[in-house]
Amino acid sequence: MDVDTLVIGGGPAGLAAALSANKNGIKNVMLIERGPELGGILPQCIHDGFGTVIFKERLTGPEYAERYVQEIKKTGIDVKLETMVLQIDRDKRVIAVNPADGLLDIQVKTLILAMGCRERTRQQILIPGDRPAGIFTAGVAQRYINIEGIMPGKKIVILGSGDVGLIMARRFSLEGAEVEGVYEIMPVPGGLTRNLVQCLQDYEIPLHLSQTIVDIKGKERVEGVTVAKVDSKMKPIQGTERFVPCDTVIVSVGLIPENELSEMVPLAMDSATGGPIVDEAMETSEAGVFAAGNVVHVHDLVDDVSTEGEVAGKAAARYVMGELKERENPTKVEAGENVRYVVPQVIRKKSFEENVKLFFRVKEVQRNVSVKVFSDGEKIYSRKERVVRPPEMLSVSLPSSVLEKTQVVKVVVEKE
Amino acid sequence: MRKVHEFTCIGCPSSCELKLVEEEGKKLEVTGSGCKIGEEYAIKEFTAPERVLTSTVRVENGVLPVLPVKSEKPIPKKLIREAVRELAKVKVKAPIKQGSVVYENMLNTDVNVIASRSLEGKGLGQ
Amino acid sequence: MKDEKLEKKVKQFLAEEGHLQISCSVKDGIAYLNGRLDNWEKVVELGHGIGKIKGVEEIVNDVTSEDAVKAVTQPRTKLSKRLYDPTLPKKADVVIVGGGVVGCFIARELSRYKLDIVLLEKESDVCGGATKANSAQIHTGVGEKSGTLKKKLCVNSWPLFDKISSELDVPYEKNGLLTVITKDSLPKSIPGPIRKFLCEYLIPIPVWITARRAKDKPKIVRKGKLLKMEPDLTEKALIGVLMPNYGIIEPFRLTISLAENAVKNGARIFIDTEVTGINVEDKKISGVVTTRGTVETDFVVNAAGVYADRIAEMAGTREFSIHPRKGGIILFDKKTDKFVAHQLNEFKLPRNEYTKGGGVLRTADENINFGPSAIEVPDREDTSISREDIDNILKKYATVFSDFPKKLVIAYFSGVRACTYKEDFVIKPSKNVKGLIHAAGIQSPGLTCSPTIAGMILEILREEGLPLKEKEAFDPICKRAAVFRELTLEEKKNIVAEERLYGNVVCRCEHITEAEIVKAIHSPVPALTVDAVKRRTRAGMGRCQSGFCGHLVAGILARELGIPLEEVTKKGGDSRLFVGKTKELLMEG
Repeated sequence: MDVDTLVIGGGPAGLAAALSANKNGIKNVMLIERGPELGGILPQCIHDGFGTVIFKERLTGPEYAERYVQEIKKTGIDVKLETMVLQIDRDKRVIAVNPADGLLDIQVKTLILAMGCRERTRQQILIPGDRPAGIFTAGVAQRYINIEGIMPGKKIVILGSGDVGLIMARRFSLEGAEVEGVYEIMPVPGGLTRNLVQCLQDYEIPLHLSQTIVDIKGKERVEGVTVAKVDSKMKPIQGTERFVPCDTVIVSVGLIPENELSEMVPLAMDSATGGPIVDEAMETSEAGVFAAGNVVHVHDLVDDVSTEGEVAGKAAARYVMGELKERENPTKVEAGENVRYVVPQVIRKKSFEENVKLFFRVKEVQRNVSVKVFSDGEKIYSRKERVVRPPEMLSVSLPSSVLEKTQVVKVVVEKE
Repeated sequence: MRKVHEFTCIGCPSSCELKLVEEEGKKLEVTGSGCKIGEEYAIKEFTAPERVLTSTVRVENGVLPVLPVKSEKPIPKKLIREAVRELAKVKVKAPIKQGSVVYENMLNTDVNVIASRSLEGKGLGQ
Repeated sequence: MKDEKLEKKVKQFLAEEGHLQISCSVKDGIAYLNGRLDNWEKVVELGHGIGKIKGVEEIVNDVTSEDAVKAVTQPRTKLSKRLYDPTLPKKADVVIVGGGVVGCFIARELSRYKLDIVLLEKESDVCGGATKANSAQIHTGVGEKSGTLKKKLCVNSWPLFDKISSELDVPYEKNGLLTVITKDSLPKSIPGPIRKFLCEYLIPIPVWITARRAKDKPKIVRKGKLLKMEPDLTEKALIGVLMPNYGIIEPFRLTISLAENAVKNGARIFIDTEVTGINVEDKKISGVVTTRGTVETDFVVNAAGVYADRIAEMAGTREFSIHPRKGGIILFDKKTDKFVAHQLNEFKLPRNEYTKGGGVLRTADENINFGPSAIEVPDREDTSISREDIDNILKKYATVFSDFPKKLVIAYFSGVRACTYKEDFVIKPSKNVKGLIHAAGIQSPGLTCSPTIAGMILEILREEGLPLKEKEAFDPICKRAAVFRELTLEEKKNIVAEERLYGNVVCRCEHITEAEIVKAIHSPVPALTVDAVKRRTRAGMGRCQSGFCGHLVAGILARELGIPLEEVTKKGGDSRLFVGKTKELLMEG
């Protein structure tokens, strides 16, 4: 089987990528999704706030997804649901399987990887104790409530104050469960202020900063957790332990880009993002292999994910038509002071678009700072920000012409 | 008697800590705001806080057992708990079209609760 | 030695140790201890001390301590009647109490004969105890103390696994154990240059000899070759001894295949069935009382793990005490498998005399393990793992590497070994009750010795009067259902065309398909819980730890068992995954 552009993942990144490739001239586009419907994580994100940039509306996850799914239906894009990709390689041969078609052996011209992320588990953060039923990561609990219509528990303790955890605090409350509290190991909360107000304050759910779970107790089902305060090195402080009876532990401690397939190629990876190294056309270290969305780096706004998908689709179309030149001696992008990472990590010379948008996250909260960009040491951009926070991604847009001769471009955030 | 109410502004990442001073329900002043948005937010949150309600309702004969719904507009914050209990009584029959009304005029607010997505029916004999 | 004389010796020991508040009596070579000590550690130390006195056959240790009194365990008695409600037979020729690897091996071996065999397991699946928390090494016996039954059986057991793994279709890797000797293998109290010399030139010799005695073919490996065999080894490594016959097996698959094979050959296995009493008439076994009814029998095999002493007590005889020793194991992402080619351990003196020290293992499924640790605990059900244990395991076993990616932990668990104070197996008929046969005190190398233990039990049963008439139609073969991820592309293509459900990949991390899960649920020893499905298929054992497949497995279980999703459990009993449907809590309140 031959396909011009294969998109792996039917979430917002994949949907946008498939549509974009198609719109930019590729008719033979296939979209593979392992779940029973398109949308990725969106169908279970029933809260609103999606699409404020692209649609200028506050949509729910399902509403946002449906906008793209309706568009897909109008095209001839071959959508394969409940299909799992088993392997990919640098020859762009893809093996996938589903019950209806059996084993699919597909030779593709371009690949767009849009597999999204998975959640960090309790085990990965080494929480001691028993292993009873009743421990869920936040996204899994969200799926159970919003799609399966089933309640994971009655008395909830949430570890992690990122947005997913906060959203779930509200969701559990609205379904009649008691949320005992949200525990956050850092001294500052991880999610948006909007969610702190509308998910915790509205429901009088306490937020315990600089605290974490140090033990889970339960023979068969969770019976309770022991929480403790932590010091500046995030180590539990002896003597501050407190037992909290509960029947459910929700672990919301971060997302990890899902790159098993990327590593099969193999693609060059960035340990700071957890995803493949890409340029502004979303092309990876392998010519003709593109990536977009949370698989590249964890995003805050789904609008950005869709935009990335759109770029990847366009670039893939150009590649198929022989119009995307090979990347030569690209500009390296570096993360400077108080910057944890920057995407894209490299920029093409004779760039893909008129403007290059750099996305980055800071390492720590700072107030009254300047965001600066340096091209081979020379400052080419500067703006002020009142406050910068790690959970809120930032961006800088630069005309590509400025970077034409640049070897290294560096993004820096520093106090004024 | 003067009273001070505290709010965290959600208008932008600055998250200004706002203080609204009122006496007998009459707003006297808002401090701590870095811009107009903050002032307006504090007043709204004090006088008539509203929230968009998002939840699910049970489905009969659908490919999924629950349907996500949302209120078309924000409704008074104090009605949210009761609204959710009202929605718990609802059972919609699939197939459902996105945007169709699932609960009319929630608690006399004139705000409808609508389906957030379309949902197919399970088909005959299932 | 006569009981009087032995009792005098024991009392003398107690006096010398200053244990004035401990009383003791000796009967039939068994020392019975009573009294109180400050803490559990001291209770265990006392038991060990008495166990070393020449002539003491076994110890029944009733000495209490404050922390032991607190840890009184209540075995679960909740039954999932709706899901599983079999009828126990009224009579059986042999009743085996305990469905771990030892109990299941005995059942399988007994099923070669024309007998009505009943195996009772209180958990909701076989291998519910120490077997499921096993490091699953096939030891050669090199690490066992001379003169123990453990050593004798182990040396004769390991060569049997080629046949066993082949007959029962169990993944088995003979990847060999590489004992690495480093500069730190001897205590730092010995000055540097002498220590280095001793480590490099002296230590390998006794290691090599002991391995030889265990019928292995050990090889001394010099540093250059060591680093070629294991490129990520620490620079501190001086020399190594390779024991090529050391292997590792898949412990769940072994136990489940044994159980399925036993059932295939006519044995009956009852899970979720707990023994609450043993009927004895005229000092002879007459029946077993369970939570599902009573079975009349003349023979009871006591393979009850940490409760073996309680089972004996139900029959009115106290011949040994079990003191639980917990052990933690940490599992790493399969990405780390390139760091380890063999089983690895670092030789270290002084040794904890009661454990072999654990090591770094490459499992039969290519995960890398660190462990197991060894911690004495008073609670038989204490399978918790502490932060201290996690940190110690990570620290201890990483020293053999130059730079192991310890961050790639995906799972950790803990199991409890059923140890006697003599720290050896108890494979013998009861001294006081005819027909009660003990297969107790099973700690490492219990899994390795399971075939020879089963052999011994059969002989004991024969001697005790159980007629063993061979069946002509015994079938030793147990074949697993096709494992999708192990097939070639061509085989995958064919199997999906034949069985549609092989095309639905449910567990993304391990590529496990719906077909395998459905087959596990309907297998001869059925999987009725999420953990039972996991043990048979590996669904949920990958790096996302059922983040993706969890809801799919629960849905398949509900569908195949005809129960609502809310009744699916993780491991039986009260371990429900959910509390009900959404909206129900709102309707209540």
